[in-house]
Amino acid sequence: MPELLELNPVIHGKLRLALLSLLSGVDEAEFTWLRAKTGATDGNLGAQLTKLEEAGYVSVEKKFVMRKPQTLYRMTEAGRAALAEYVAALKQLLGAAI
Amino acid sequence: MDNETSSVELTERLKLIESMMAEGRQRTERWGWSFVLWGVAYLVATAWASGLVGGSVWSQRYLAWPLVMIAAGIATGVGISRMMKGQPATALGRAIGAIWRAMGISLFIVLMSLAYSGRYDTHVFVAIIGGMLGVANMASAIMLKWKMQFACAMVWLASAVVACFVTANQAGIAFLAATFFCQIVFGVYAMIRESRRRQNGAVHA
Repeated sequence: MPELLELNPVIHGKLRLALLSLLSGVDEAEFTWLRAKTGATDGNLGAQLTKLEEAGYVSVEKKFVMRKPQTLYRMTEAGRAALAEYVAALKQLLGAAI
Repeated sequence: MDNETSSVELTERLKLIESMMAEGRQRTERWGWSFVLWGVAYLVATAWASGLVGGSVWSQRYLAWPLVMIAAGIATGVGISRMMKGQPATALGRAIGAIWRAMGISLFIVLMSLAYSGRYDTHVFVAIIGGMLGVANMASAIMLKWKMQFACAMVWLASAVVACFVTANQAGIAFLAATFFCQIVFGVYAMIRESRRRQNGAVHA
């Protein structure tokens, strides 16, 4: 019997999973856009994004546009690979559960 | 895997991934307003240029197309800058945007050249506009796998072909019919779809 894949605990968190899924479809996204799409609070969103950044799954760029601070988040190659592995594991587990 | 993790929870995770990925995707339905705007602009320019609109302000018929097209271009630019504020870019969005920008610039240059050279002719005008809008709609429809937009592309191309074989008046009617169905009706349809999607609401994490 094939061994079941483990679910990556960094990605498994609901908000972190939502953030990675959102970032997988775009080049880069502003903090405000991610907040609007997830409905998360600033504090929670910032904390989860920091965890993803520490894991190397997202990169952050801070800059000023028209003198206003802007924080942009991008998914890294490691993040993309991790999400793909997570989805594969999820499908395998769901297959096993059925 | 945690033993307590149920298949229901896993299925929810999978649905969350799908819904969030869909949120990040650019939706052509959001551009319905621009189809309607350009459709109305074509109709206003046609009415003005053909003398259907009365009054001293509208007597300068040669200004109809350049002025209305420039006004529509500025309105589109303002609308896009407001709509895209804070919106993330996607590869697909850039590709489709490039097609429409290239078509708009090419169309403007070619039609202005035709007008100033004095070689303007209704058949040529409809054939060029129909051909170019047919190409842009078809490329966009193929990328998005959107049958309704593909149908619009076929209507534009049909109007271009028809314009080559019929009288000037009939070519004008073909252009107006294509404008009505492919810009105004299609634009309103896209706006209704977008409105319904918004009413359904996004899945929040």
